[in-house]
Amino acid sequence: MTIEGVIAANRFGLGARPGQVAAISGDPKGWLLSQLTPETELPLPLATLPSTADDMGAFLRWIREIAAEAQAHGTDLAKLKPAGAPDAAMGSGMSGGATGGDGGFSIEREYVKAFVPRHAMAVKARFDTAVATERPFFERLVHFWVNHFVVSGAKPAAIAMPPAFERDAIRPNLTGRFADLLLASTRHPAMLYYLDNFRSVGPNSKVGKDPSLRAPRYVQAFAVPQMTGLNENLAREILELQTLGVRSGYSQADVTSFARVLTGWTIAAPPRVPLYRLVVEGRLNGKGLFEFDDDEHEPGAQRILGKVYAQAGVDQGEAVLHDLARHPATAHFIATKLARHFVADDPPPSLVDRLAKTFRASDGDLKEVYAALVHSAEAFEPAPRKFKTPEDYVISAARALPAYKTEPGTLLRAFASMGQTPYNPPGPNGWPDVEGEWRGADSVWKRFEWASQAAQSVATATMNPDVLAAELLGPTLSKQTAQAIARAQSPAQGLTLLLASAEFQRR
Amino acid sequence: MVTRRQTLTLIGSGLAVAGLPRATLAAADTDKRLVVVILRGAMDGLSAVPATGDPDFERARNGLAYGGALKLDATFALHPNLAGMKQLYDAGELTVIHAVATAYRDRSHFDGQNLLENGSERPYGLDTGWLNRALAQMPPSAKPLGVALDAHMPLILRGPAQVTSWAPSFLVPPDRDTAQRLAALYGETDPKLAQDFASAQAANGVAAGTQVAAGYQAFAGLMTAAAKFLAASDGERIAMVEIGGWDTHVNQAGPFGPLSTNLVALDRGIAALKTGLGPAWQDTAVLVVTEFGRTVAMNGTQGTDHGTAGAAFLAGGAVRGGRVIADWPGLKPADLFQDRDLKPTIDFRAIATGVLRDHVGLHEGQLALVFPSAAPVRPRDGLMRA
Repeated sequence: MTIEGVIAANRFGLGARPGQVAAISGDPKGWLLSQLTPETELPLPLATLPSTADDMGAFLRWIREIAAEAQAHGTDLAKLKPAGAPDAAMGSGMSGGATGGDGGFSIEREYVKAFVPRHAMAVKARFDTAVATERPFFERLVHFWVNHFVVSGAKPAAIAMPPAFERDAIRPNLTGRFADLLLASTRHPAMLYYLDNFRSVGPNSKVGKDPSLRAPRYVQAFAVPQMTGLNENLAREILELQTLGVRSGYSQADVTSFARVLTGWTIAAPPRVPLYRLVVEGRLNGKGLFEFDDDEHEPGAQRILGKVYAQAGVDQGEAVLHDLARHPATAHFIATKLARHFVADDPPPSLVDRLAKTFRASDGDLKEVYAALVHSAEAFEPAPRKFKTPEDYVISAARALPAYKTEPGTLLRAFASMGQTPYNPPGPNGWPDVEGEWRGADSVWKRFEWASQAAQSVATATMNPDVLAAELLGPTLSKQTAQAIARAQSPAQGLTLLLASAEFQRR
Repeated sequence: MVTRRQTLTLIGSGLAVAGLPRATLAAADTDKRLVVVILRGAMDGLSAVPATGDPDFERARNGLAYGGALKLDATFALHPNLAGMKQLYDAGELTVIHAVATAYRDRSHFDGQNLLENGSERPYGLDTGWLNRALAQMPPSAKPLGVALDAHMPLILRGPAQVTSWAPSFLVPPDRDTAQRLAALYGETDPKLAQDFASAQAANGVAAGTQVAAGYQAFAGLMTAAAKFLAASDGERIAMVEIGGWDTHVNQAGPFGPLSTNLVALDRGIAALKTGLGPAWQDTAVLVVTEFGRTVAMNGTQGTDHGTAGAAFLAGGAVRGGRVIADWPGLKPADLFQDRDLKPTIDFRAIATGVLRDHVGLHEGQLALVFPSAAPVRPRDGLMRA
């Protein structure tokens, strides 16, 4: 067992399985590089999830049902306004009760009933995939990019969408060119929905001038009438969070111009056929739901970062996205985030520079960038500089304990307790990626609670936690931790100390 | 008396372990309590505190003005969902601050929150938080005086002073023997984890069992927990609680808009804190702040986009309330910041330093360490009761 083997499995991967460090220690870098190929088929837990069509269709059905039920209870959803009675106003949020009174119609209750099990299943499938994968570096990259191009179910109306987005937009594109990943993300209905672009209309477009011309859409049921103006949310977040990075020199005028460019990038109109036929025909898969609607697109040239984009239609947006993808600020931003994710909260500038240079020289070939990371000496320095996130902590512990089993609801509650519910980061900037955020009194205690429960659920009388510790952590296992595990009163206690140890939490 | 340094040494050596009774730790030197509430996502200050008496208000809001607001004075009112806060206002326990902003003038939530929390004059200007630096200036205590009611450690509380944190758990408390062994192991291998672990054990002794409901009601539960930490005579003195979901780009006042619900949550949370604190409310100040305001006019999707100045609240029995503090910039087109936002006329740091000086007791030299700035920030006078 070599320290490079431990680092490959833990710092780049999702934690070692028993015996894995020994198996990869001969060529840890080769093992990592071999994972940088596109996926030939979806991992089984993901393939058996409901389809994107089902996720999005369920949302549409749910909206129709609550509207009908609200009407039956005499609550006109469309007329609820804060100016009304306080109780009615309170219900105007997704998480409130629509009538406020006990026993009345409750949006929250209906919503939880319809979507929490679906969300829990998706979280469990993501977890099972990460625990079972033979390509943990690839899977880490999936998690990394899903945390870069963020669609979050923390916006209640988007709760069904993140898993579909991960499958359709991220997984097929993460070993290719950054531009393709960016385009796949921007075209995906989940992103167009989460960051409101499907609602954004060019003020001088046909629809902007006459809102009655707006085409009926798949999402019409949960769009609000009279939305006929610009919404700059997606444009801003693409510049700030997905490409150039904040404070890289763009202005409010650039944001507004880019928002005009992206008008018309929307979610497909529903043909006048029943929903089930769309499902059968496969038209409701995520990629198939993108539509460019010229009637909503702001006509005319736009200037962004000093360059004039005179293209018509969807070409204008694609041209801007391609330019953003190859902008030097984007190269630097992506390089910094990758280096921070895998190596150190304050990544060495030499490493960031090397990754950014590779990004620029390869026109954003992500596989080349990952390879440069793997070949960097900074990434294999023995001292751990990263503290695992709660999700990675739980995944790595489950990989260490092959007998560990959990249920969707239990898993979701554990993640919620630790402050990181997968698919639900608080905002479009994703989960924080620094120790300062994740290491606090509460989180250290929660990990201990979780480790203790997990250890008790798998411990057997004949188990040797000290052998497992040596297998998982190799030369990084400290004498003190090895000794504490060896002196434990029971296998369960030994396993708990192993999982809660500093060596297991840091990488 | 055990000094702070001695206690850290004890923790570091693994001797401070499970169940150490709180009474053996020295109490804080002050009875004053401070709660900072961060509203993440940028609260629409003109919805929470509409300037109904400004003749330009209704036109400027182009559709976002509403009836039924609770009148505060000739110019300002409160959203009807802030009825509890209106009662505090009437009792002289709430001050509303309007057209207030941090030093941040761009429109990124994340930069805006970073600056709000780091207390410098630019995003990422410091990697510690101003509330932690304030704690570090308080008289030494044998135990953490700051607590985050949060499973994360928010930037505002990161820094040199040891702080604790607590959030509800769905997990099962482990056995005491394993906890003692782990505390000892951290003591030998990882001083940071050792400190966190010891703080967590103490925090669980205070807050374990506090009911925190899901959804918008969570905030009231966390405020109840905050009250438990702060109420005790030997308890924490500074708490931080956050509530997200204020980024109302779309349909903010309509059937699926989050703003109304969030305001209910805020109102109930302040009430829960007051109830939980009991008599200690008289020694308490609650500072409610968001990263920036939102556009004055409605956007194209019945919401508002990222703006600049907004509203903040200062509540508590120690506050000289019952008034609105504003140097009102007006809402005529020429009055707006960059033709779209409410113009900032009060620096948030003037409010924060006014509270830290007159309530927490920091002197001006210390305030300069809490909010380092090129030009001195003048603390606002008279925020607290004499």
